[in-house]
Amino acid sequence: MAWFTGIDIGSGTSKGVITKDGKLEVYHMLASGVNYRMVSQKLREELLAKAGLCAEDIARTVTTGHGAGIIPFGNQHVADIQCCAKGINCIFPSVRMVIDVQGQSSQVIQVDKNGQVTNFAVSEACASGSGCFIEVIANVLQLELKDIGPLSLNAKNPVTFTTGCAVFGESEAISRVSEGIPKEDILAGVHKALAGKISTLIDRVGLKEPCAISGGGGLNVGLIKRVEELGIQLLVPPQPQIVNALGAAIMAEEQVT
Amino acid sequence: MDRDEEICASVITHTGAEHRRLANKVMEKALGQAGLSFDEISYVIATGYGRIRVPFADRQITELTCHARGVFRSSPDVRLAIDIGGQDAKGLKINGGKLLDFTMSDKCAAGTGRFLEIIADSLDLRLDDLGSLSLKSTNKVSISSTCTVFARQEVVSRISEGVPLEDILAGIHNAIASRVARMVERLKVEPEVVFTGGVAKNIGVVKALEENLGCEVLVPEEPLLSGAIGAALLGKEITLKAIAQGRPIPREERRLEEVTFFQ
Repeated sequence: MAWFTGIDIGSGTSKGVITKDGKLEVYHMLASGVNYRMVSQKLREELLAKAGLCAEDIARTVTTGHGAGIIPFGNQHVADIQCCAKGINCIFPSVRMVIDVQGQSSQVIQVDKNGQVTNFAVSEACASGSGCFIEVIANVLQLELKDIGPLSLNAKNPVTFTTGCAVFGESEAISRVSEGIPKEDILAGVHKALAGKISTLIDRVGLKEPCAISGGGGLNVGLIKRVEELGIQLLVPPQPQIVNALGAAIMAEEQVT
Repeated sequence: MDRDEEICASVITHTGAEHRRLANKVMEKALGQAGLSFDEISYVIATGYGRIRVPFADRQITELTCHARGVFRSSPDVRLAIDIGGQDAKGLKINGGKLLDFTMSDKCAAGTGRFLEIIADSLDLRLDDLGSLSLKSTNKVSISSTCTVFARQEVVSRISEGVPLEDILAGIHNAIASRVARMVERLKVEPEVVFTGGVAKNIGVVKALEENLGCEVLVPEEPLLSGAIGAALLGKEITLKAIAQGRPIPREERRLEEVTFFQ
């Protein structure tokens, strides 16, 4: 009997999964906070407790994500792009492209039938190309992150953000609010802006279908709608945030067997 | 400014949202300081982002032209002027007071004063204190120069790791300076280099710019006023030229009254 663990320490959320025989058994998520080392240990403990297992039951652990470099345990560290490809392949074997919208970047990854990466593009080190842009605007509008996607669907006239900078976007959002523009139009605007950035990433590698979305962005129906408006149908995993952690665990399993 | 180019009064105020109302207040304050009435002013030039929102101006001139003129007055040998304001950064190639070329960045907050405002805010520090604090640094950290939002997250991480504040600030100043240095590279950096705009008041950024450009960086006595001084000088020239040619001064109909959004 062998269990495998995948740990993904993201800039916002840390995810852990346990797999057996290539299938998801248990997953767990925590806010990353600022101390990645501490959160990774807490995540592992709580994950094991949820599964009713102890550390010795785990045959191998693969780590990934923004904060993976300083995790004090784990057998190997694998790049998030590879984990994402592997994870989406486990959930949707037919998918040939996945859009991973994370807190600090977005990436578009082409995947083959074995879950191997065949091509990819990553956004620049700029908040406006990542989920962070949406968080910044949600914050200034004093809205909960989980509410903004549904709210944005009510928009009648999405606003246009002119600069492509999240900080200037924040000021633009404040100006629009003071002009009396409804919040949903502002939210639809920021989702559109991010969808536009994603679309340029897709153009760089070429669209492959079927296409899926993963990462925190996969929880946002507003973003999904704006990407679909660009003519790209998206498959959404039931838990889009754990795709990379799942891929990490599958990798751990493949390394042993 | 009088005909001898002496500055009789100067006013610096936070702009806020309502440019039009503010322009009047600034004008009235300056008139009060100088002990003049509005009718005694021969010519008014408005410049800057809000220049079209000055209803009593005789003419609007871009901040690039005014800046070049203003910097040339305080530093006649200026070859490169770097202006870092609250929402953009500019590089101006100048020779003999003439603007030859320029480069600017206004699409991204990194490399502008906004970057410093956000960092100061997240560290709960006054903007004015950043410069002197950063000079105590002995081991500056590396901070992302490409994105303000990510730099802010880096700052929070460094703080939680116990990195001394002054080393973080020195890293921040280096981030903005290296970005602006890259921006002006195309203009060929040669002395004298003059640094203006609100960010020029930050001694930490001045030092970091000197390091990144590899030459001395001069800061005028009041780096916020360069554009306004340039505008006044251009106004004087227009007025004197008209008088010399025996033409009337090309004035607009002026309204020194509060303009509101609902007029």
